[in-house]
Amino acid sequence: MTGDILILSAAGMLVTAYLMVGQKALFTAIRLFAVQSLFLAIVAATMAISASRHELFVMAGLTVVLKAALIPWFLMRVIDRIGIHREIEPFLNVPASLLVCLGLTVVGYRVSTGFPEGTGGVSHHLIGVALSMLLIGLFLMVTRKKAITQILALLTVESAVFLVAVGVTSGMPFVVELGISFDVILAVLILGVLVHRIVDRFESMDVSRLSKLKG
Amino acid sequence: MNQAVLVALGGVLQTLGLLAAAPLLKTAIRRMKARLQNRQGPPWRQGYYDLAKLLRKEPVRSETASWIYVAGPRVYFSAAVAATTLVPVVAAAAPLESAGGILLLVGTLALGRFALATAALDTGSPFGGMGASRDMTIAALAEPALMLGLFTSALAAGSLNLGVLVRSLLQHGVSFHPADLLAFAGLFIIVIAETGRIPVDNPATHLELTMIHEAMVLEYAGPDLALVEWASGVKELLYLTLLIDLLIPAGMATSAAPGALLLGAAAWAGKIAILAVAVTVTESVNAKLRLFRVPELVSVSLGLGFLALAIRFL
Repeated sequence: MTGDILILSAAGMLVTAYLMVGQKALFTAIRLFAVQSLFLAIVAATMAISASRHELFVMAGLTVVLKAALIPWFLMRVIDRIGIHREIEPFLNVPASLLVCLGLTVVGYRVSTGFPEGTGGVSHHLIGVALSMLLIGLFLMVTRKKAITQILALLTVESAVFLVAVGVTSGMPFVVELGISFDVILAVLILGVLVHRIVDRFESMDVSRLSKLKG
Repeated sequence: MNQAVLVALGGVLQTLGLLAAAPLLKTAIRRMKARLQNRQGPPWRQGYYDLAKLLRKEPVRSETASWIYVAGPRVYFSAAVAATTLVPVVAAAAPLESAGGILLLVGTLALGRFALATAALDTGSPFGGMGASRDMTIAALAEPALMLGLFTSALAAGSLNLGVLVRSLLQHGVSFHPADLLAFAGLFIIVIAETGRIPVDNPATHLELTMIHEAMVLEYAGPDLALVEWASGVKELLYLTLLIDLLIPAGMATSAAPGALLLGAAAWAGKIAILAVAVTVTESVNAKLRLFRVPELVSVSLGLGFLALAIRFL
């Protein structure tokens, strides 16, 4: 039962990451990230119950509040303020991106089969999903032009790392996990300000225009 | 002998049941959608009223129409009815499962679609041709995606036959693989695309630029239209049943005992209701995609299907 919930939530995270790649509307991408964070919170809560690591309840709560509510709300506000709802213009078109992500997922999964099975028998899948999401996040960061999407990609990578930390290892110290959470929220805040600055200067969120910046 | 009679009876009952339930599903989704928009919505029997009204009318056909035009809705309807006999619904066995499995099912549905698209081209009206070409564009992508999703489950069970597949799933009990959810997500997108629901097509509009399925059947009237509408309803119910069979078969009857069958029917109805809510919500929170965006959405589901199959192997 525990294994099933873990596997389903992890697979749900992978599905949302995949849909994010196929998505061109910024608002929908942000909502998908919120759903992904909810799945992550379910993983954390399930681990908290099954392994009786009660500090993970706090992490699950923090994930819901910060990553499923606060950060999406903040990003949507940024988009509203700068008034760029336009679609993401990737360097690669959607079908090609999907194909690349497919390859990346297969690589991530293939690598994960080398890890020894954990006690729950699910660590292979969790590592596979997390590695795939990590690679998809990096890929999104490289191929997308809009600054908001790059923030979402960074957050996806962070979620992937968190998934491994919670699901497979016996856990990081509580203080470290708290620190990471606040790091993430600060990073998003600073990046949000940065997006404002980029839009101010270039009247676009397109980060490829930053290369024109010469001293 | 007794066994064969029982199986035949079950098959007839299953097909009649699906035919009877199809208008109800359509009405239920329309009602829920209306409720989400703060409207009253049609009464529960509206689907049956609509069908009865259309069936009573006189068929009006274009003078240029040939037999292909007349045959189209009939083949489409028959294909949908034939497909219902290949899918386990209440019990963990399909009435005609010895005839074939997944490939036959996909082929039968493709035959119906082909007949309807050909019939739409027959009168030479621009709308029919446009609708047919759009429907085929989507189908060309949706069909392989459907097969990939189905193959993912077939790979786990080791059989392409839906009856064997469901029985093996029930025997092994519930144990999830990440591929299951990927396949489910892919198949759900396909169900939305194939049944003409909102991100892909709008079942409630007759606006020239956006309609796909409606453009194809625009010229039909009376009993012809009733057959098309009814068959679409049966197809929708069939796709949802397929999702249930492959991913949440728990509760299906494994014996012919009346209690088990009743429980199976109740479980099936409950799961269909849950999926209907999911379809309604998807339809209500999404805007319709531009036509040229639709292949992107369907290719996402194709990708999910490929991925599910690849992960299954690793």
